Amino acid sequence: MLELFHAMMKEEWRIHSTMFGSLSFALFPVMIFGIAFMGAFLVPLMQTTLPAGNLTLILHASYLMLGIMVGGFGLLGNEVMNRRFGQASLLAYSARSLPLKESFIFSNFVVKDTVYYFFLWVLPFGLGYIIASPFIGVSLASALLLLLTLTLAFLFGLCAVFFLSTVYARSRPALWLILLAVVAGGAGLAVVTGTNPALFFPPLLLNHAFTWTNLIGSCAILAILFGVAIALFNPESVGSEKNYRNAFSPLMARLSFLPNPPLAAKDAIDLYRSGSLIGQTLFSFILPLAVIWFFLSLLGPYFPPHGLLFIFAITTGVIASTMYTWVTMFDNFGPYACLPVAVSTLIAGKLTTFTILQLLPAIFIAVVAILSGEIAFLVPAVVLGLAVSFYAVAVMAWLCGLSPNVLVYDVKVLALYLILVGIVIVLFTAAAFANPYFALASLILAVPAWWFVQKAKVRWDAVDPAGF
Amino acid sequence: MTIVLEARNLSKTYGDVQAVNTVSLSVEEGALFGLLGPNGSGKTTMIRMLTGQTRPTGGTATVLGVDVTKDPVGVRSRVGIIPEQETPPSFLTAMEYLRFVAAVRKIPDIETKADWWFDFLDFADKKNVLCKDLSRGTRQKLMFTQAFIHEPALALIDEPLINFDPIMQDLVKEYLAGYVKKGKTIFISTHILEVAEEICSGFAILHKGTLLHTGPVADLTGRGEHLPAFFLSLVRKDHHA
Repeated sequence: MLELFHAMMKEEWRIHSTMFGSLSFALFPVMIFGIAFMGAFLVPLMQTTLPAGNLTLILHASYLMLGIMVGGFGLLGNEVMNRRFGQASLLAYSARSLPLKESFIFSNFVVKDTVYYFFLWVLPFGLGYIIASPFIGVSLASALLLLLTLTLAFLFGLCAVFFLSTVYARSRPALWLILLAVVAGGAGLAVVTGTNPALFFPPLLLNHAFTWTNLIGSCAILAILFGVAIALFNPESVGSEKNYRNAFSPLMARLSFLPNPPLAAKDAIDLYRSGSLIGQTLFSFILPLAVIWFFLSLLGPYFPPHGLLFIFAITTGVIASTMYTWVTMFDNFGPYACLPVAVSTLIAGKLTTFTILQLLPAIFIAVVAILSGEIAFLVPAVVLGLAVSFYAVAVMAWLCGLSPNVLVYDVKVLALYLILVGIVIVLFTAAAFANPYFALASLILAVPAWWFVQKAKVRWDAVDPAGF
Repeated sequence: MTIVLEARNLSKTYGDVQAVNTVSLSVEEGALFGLLGPNGSGKTTMIRMLTGQTRPTGGTATVLGVDVTKDPVGVRSRVGIIPEQETPPSFLTAMEYLRFVAAVRKIPDIETKADWWFDFLDFADKKNVLCKDLSRGTRQKLMFTQAFIHEPALALIDEPLINFDPIMQDLVKEYLAGYVKKGKTIFISTHILEVAEEICSGFAILHKGTLLHTGPVADLTGRGEHLPAFFLSLVRKDHHA
């Protein structure tokens, strides 16, 4: 167990560090530490408008979402499962050459992901806060408790996704049943107690009042979710030879109005047949946004009128921009290297598919606007969400080309992305808070977005296409 | 004879590693030219540069009259390429992939042409199977098909017989020999010297990124020499130098 775990850790580190150098990658947790350390000094300022309880709520929600996204990144969609356990030359593939059970390898993989991303994301953030705590009047004990409960929140996200994805791989109706049960349970709890069920999130309860019973209870839930995920894990049989009817030609004819119909048709088939259109929509889009909405809704009174809707629209825009990673995750330049296709053409093709996918966030924001009784601001909210999404994806395409899933861990790339997108978020949050209709001004983002896309095409045509 | 491929002082450096060092060679129309060398000698890098997949760090090259640095897409539109590792897209079926290639390359009448290749390479039963579920050998057949289905004037193939069984190897060798007889040109890279001696008209030997020798195979065989022995003596001499 230990040997395999150790080797998997080394492998994961080398995958990342060989791509942009050990130093550059090693700086990634340092940057997270720096952000947390500096951010901690804003806590006293934020506490003047937000009660401390709500601040911990936001933090726990963020860590829950981080866990969901880390868990979802590697495990969702049949092909990603297949790639990680079937065709990729990783240790996870060693069940075929070593006398090891696939469930044993999977459990190692889960533990490895947990430990690896804990040290990459969770611990640096927690340490930043702990080290800043003496300067902001927070006791060491409560800072340590926060680190513990944030870790638990992260693990809840991670293991919930592992659990749900293994259920998804076994039976889709069972997944829907479980999700329905969770929603119904939350609603029932809200009716019975008259309290927002988010407040019953175990790590949050633990943070508010530490008891050993709560801690053991949280760990037990995590252990059950991990255990069931491992028990349910069923690697796909690689090499099954199912026959498929021709979907490419009719789809290409239907998409002939687009600039690159063959590329768009291929992307659509990739998304559909890999199962990732449903999987990603559910786990990387709807679930994180539902969690955010759930927690943000508690903060309504502390935002300006209509502010919640616009904060949510911006958040949706940022998360929607990651749909670019959905359409690039199955493709490197390899399959196109023998064809007369330039990298810039491929980027344009991926952005076209991305544009079609933006129907999802547009509908999502519109539904939220209607459900929250803010129908009057539906149009500015949708415009703001989409403008942020297109701007953020243009920045991503410029910084990462066809490899956003990988280059996000390059500290220089991530820092630049955060700055370029952060400035826009701050500007348009302020504008929307001042007057909801000012959000319509975000249409101006089309100009820098277009500029970044043009720059991306020139930039990535000029370098050797990456093999990842 | 027309020169269809010409490299002048072509070089490629990856960081501190000199993968290809000022290589100059030319290939005439109608030749079946073999680029030979041990593993890591720079063969794949040469093919990648000649097909515009990688930019040279020095020198120039033209393929069918097109500069590989200035117009890499133009080069790839004129030639057929089989990369070292077969990479058809995972979620298209074999037939859909050929339709995709036809759409990108604007090849007419793809159904008839594809059916001919499915029969010729004996994988018609796999035409509607997803590429990710194909065996390595079948993927290689598919990649071979996509490289020749538009009958390019020049095909560049990295290890043409890798993953093929002996029967298929024989069939492919026969096809390549017939292809050049039609006036087309083939550029292969391989380290299987017996195959090179059997099918190539010209060859070049690359070692540690440097060109050691280039010339017609007939010159060697005319002197009673064999390509494998010649290759080994040259590479060993260079290795000890």
